[in-house]
Amino acid sequence: MSLEDFALILIGLGALIGLVAVVYAIRKAFSRGAGELGGWEVAGARQIITAIARTTLTEGLRTKIASGFVIMVVASVPIFWLTADGDGTIKGRVQMFMTYSVGFSSFILSLLSVLFSCRSLSNEIAGRQIFGIVSKPVPRWQIVMGKFFGVMTLNVVMVAYVGVTTFAGTRGLVSQFKSRVQSEFVTYAGYSPEQAANAVAALDDVRGVGKEGMESPILEAMSKATGFTIQQLAESLLKMPEATRADLRRFDELRRQVLVARTAIQPPIPEEEIARRVEARFNQMKADGELPITQSEREIRDQLNKQFFGQFCTVVYQDSRMWVFEGPPPQKGKDYIMSVRFKMHIPQGLNDFSDPETGAKLEEDTLLSLWGIGDPKTANYYEYLGAVPARTTKEFEFPMDAVDPNGTIKLRFANLDPRRVDVVFDLAKDALEVLYRVGSFEMNLFEACLAVLIPLACLTAFGVCASTFLSFPVGALLVLCLFMITSSMGFIFESMAITEDYMPEDPGVEVQIRKAVIESIDWALSIGDIAVTDQLMEGRAIGWDRLWSNAWRFLLLKTGAALFIAVLVLRRRELAAVIV
Amino acid sequence: MKVVECIALTKVFQDFWGRARVRAVDNLELDINPGEIFGLLGPNGSGKSTTIKMLLGLLYPTSGSARVFGKSPTDTAIKSRIGFMPEESYLYRFLNARETLDYYGRLFKLDRHERKKRTEALIDMIGLKRAANRPVGTYSKGMARRIGLAQALVNDPDFLILDEPTTGLDPIGTRQIKDVIRILGDRGKTVLLCSHLLADVEDVCDRVAIMYGGKVQAAGTVEQLLMHKDETQFVTRRLDDNALTRVRELIGQAGGEIMSVEHPTDKLEDLFLRVVGQAQRDQLETSGAETAVGVSEFLGGTGRKTGESLVASLVEAGRGTKDAPATPKAGAPAPVSVQPAPRKDVLSRLEAGASEPVDEKKKAGGPVETPLPTKKPDKAVLDRLMKSDSDGGAS
Ligand SMILES: Nc1ncnc2c1ncn2[C@@H]1O[C@H](COP(=O)(O)OP(=O)(O)O)[C@@H](O)[C@H]1O
Ligand SMILES: [Mg+2]
Repeated sequence: MSLEDFALILIGLGALIGLVAVVYAIRKAFSRGAGELGGWEVAGARQIITAIARTTLTEGLRTKIASGFVIMVVASVPIFWLTADGDGTIKGRVQMFMTYSVGFSSFILSLLSVLFSCRSLSNEIAGRQIFGIVSKPVPRWQIVMGKFFGVMTLNVVMVAYVGVTTFAGTRGLVSQFKSRVQSEFVTYAGYSPEQAANAVAALDDVRGVGKEGMESPILEAMSKATGFTIQQLAESLLKMPEATRADLRRFDELRRQVLVARTAIQPPIPEEEIARRVEARFNQMKADGELPITQSEREIRDQLNKQFFGQFCTVVYQDSRMWVFEGPPPQKGKDYIMSVRFKMHIPQGLNDFSDPETGAKLEEDTLLSLWGIGDPKTANYYEYLGAVPARTTKEFEFPMDAVDPNGTIKLRFANLDPRRVDVVFDLAKDALEVLYRVGSFEMNLFEACLAVLIPLACLTAFGVCASTFLSFPVGALLVLCLFMITSSMGFIFESMAITEDYMPEDPGVEVQIRKAVIESIDWALSIGDIAVTDQLMEGRAIGWDRLWSNAWRFLLLKTGAALFIAVLVLRRRELAAVIV
Repeated sequence: MKVVECIALTKVFQDFWGRARVRAVDNLELDINPGEIFGLLGPNGSGKSTTIKMLLGLLYPTSGSARVFGKSPTDTAIKSRIGFMPEESYLYRFLNARETLDYYGRLFKLDRHERKKRTEALIDMIGLKRAANRPVGTYSKGMARRIGLAQALVNDPDFLILDEPTTGLDPIGTRQIKDVIRILGDRGKTVLLCSHLLADVEDVCDRVAIMYGGKVQAAGTVEQLLMHKDETQFVTRRLDDNALTRVRELIGQAGGEIMSVEHPTDKLEDLFLRVVGQAQRDQLETSGAETAVGVSEFLGGTGRKTGESLVASLVEAGRGTKDAPATPKAGAPAPVSVQPAPRKDVLSRLEAGASEPVDEKKKAGGPVETPLPTKKPDKAVLDRLMKSDSDGGAS
């Protein structure tokens, strides 16, 4: 018997035991023999659940368990508002404020949820207050739900606070910035207050592609609003502090790339084509008798697949590539804008380079490349040639008429760097996308708040579940550990060497089992997969379908399962039995 | 249908490894009829609380079964007819008295109006009106016990379970508990009163059972259990020597022997009542429990105000004997004055030459006849039982 078969048998046995346990638990849960308290009555549940939730909430606020966290959250948002600086530009400040206030609050609320919920039932069992509930006509499932909703009410209120203050805060930063620019127009450029106000108001009317210098659509919009020529405006801007000039462009990016909700489309990957080439190569190797005997056929195919996919992502020196995106039909609204976002991988240690003939210099970690968007056969084709930073994510906007009326976007890229390097766009990791606006920032922030609540609900349910059989500090430590584990799952995948990158060519049974175990831990423990702060930072729409799938997978399934287990345990438990 | 029915009810507490440690309740057979005020007596650790917890589904029986209102204790629905005052008040320290009672009212699904009415009435009744807005965590033990009583009454229960209700309570509170029990009894409700204090039980209970080591050692009506068949006490207004001599002669003729002749004395409870009553009539401040006010109207009480009820109770106390709880004295043979409350009819019967006291139900239409235990225990037996246990009674 091979090791692989043995592992299969083990896994089968485990699944069987699991199934028996689940069936047994369900049978027990619904049987009405001695030793179970309270049925599954639903009549009047709302009133009782509300009463228990209210008392739980009151406890959280009057005793110190929750109020400390609440104060931290309440105080943190204004503090971040005052201190957020980022890279010093208006865009950086707003991004930092948003991500800090949402990120920090959701972290603090996670701790709050765990500690509060882990205390909820165990504390009452230890303090015997539970006698007062159980001796009243309250089925146990309602006790569990009451505790859950008590903690969740606090979470909802706090998240709503964070949402509203974050929104107000970004508004505040923006208007602060605008009044600063306005006063600088008056002091440095000698504009009348009215002219300055017009110039600043024009910032919200900028349309078209963001460009550097004189060609910038910002100047166009300002000129339209103030009546000055672009030349005049440029001169006045030159009198203003350099930081402000840079900020004007950053502000435009902020308005159109961050304070919006955008969605992304990726270039289609020609999987069939790759598969065909894999098959052809494989057959050829077989015919030539070149198949390595140490590997199984599947492994060889996997390897070939990786190889061809890599080729598809790579643009070698002097080569060019055309990607075709299938996007939505373009819209004409003034805020509608599309942009290309990319991250180029080039080998490390690419040195400075200066062309001996022209003396033109190429800096380290940049790549001389040509970008073209639109159909080259038509007039609506735009090209850009220049040195582009590599290994960081960059974004450029393109005019709407480059998009085909049916939504097709053609993007051309040529690798012209004289240093003869290969460029890789890791398409499996979204290294090349077209972004476009689908909604407003307000809506996205609201969706972000909902997305924050999903993991909080999971943690709360885990905590309530733990508190049915574990005393406070033990349960809290356990759930906190689980929380830490899920938060660092990526790191764990790496350290256990089971990510794609580290996966050996021939993963043995042992590696497979390790991978299966860690993946199932991840599956069991993960409490949400929306990186809310990243989404907000990049102005990406979270989207209702994504929210819904999260709600389904985590809220309904996990929260439901945890609460169900909690009810089962509480029903079986002898609440007056003292366990020393 | 019986309110409580225990059939061979047994509870064995196990330790973590499942080894049997304590046989707290042992093949208990117990019936409580509707309308009965039942006293469960027993020294500390005799299994009274354990029995109650099994009746409430807080513990599950090891074997045997318990039925409450004909249903399993695990049935949620019967709980709306039960009021339970646990052996200690386990309250939410952060809620005040009003919020606490309101919360329990919500758990009974009472509507807002009814909750408010009952909360106020109960706070009035337990005399915590002035402390009602303080968190109950700041209450003294006795004050918390009063809240415990109030929360047990918030649903106007058909079956009231009191686990050592008078521990920690002052005499007024103690008296009030008895009043509540009596009034509920008069309204045909059932009460299970658990105590190790004879005084709590003997005044109000129709029937008592005495537990020891998880088993019922004796059961029957209070008279059956407490009556000294061979002693007779009678109380009169002060007799002159002449009359006394004649009585002595009469007793001598009837073949009796006089063991002691005493004047009735006030008991401590009465004195306390009078002193506190005086202070309250003078309206002195207190941050603790204030005047207790009768029994709330919705429970069938009159809800009379302080003055009246206190005066009434003082009048009763002044009479000195009617409600007198007996205090057993260790070691000494029971003196005449601690005999159960004498009744006028005893004297008349005595004069008529009837030397046997008559077993008589406390109330007309009261509980049905209970089988007398074959060996009728007397007070001395009780005292022995009460004293003998100090180590948990589980052996
Ligand atoms: N949860 C428990 N675990 C172990 N032993 C218990 C538990 N509860 C009560 N006991 C034991 O059971 C016996 C009866 O206790 P209890 O019913 O509380 O007595 P009481 O008559 O004073 O109310 C005691 O010996 C007590 O120590
Ligand atoms: Mg007890």
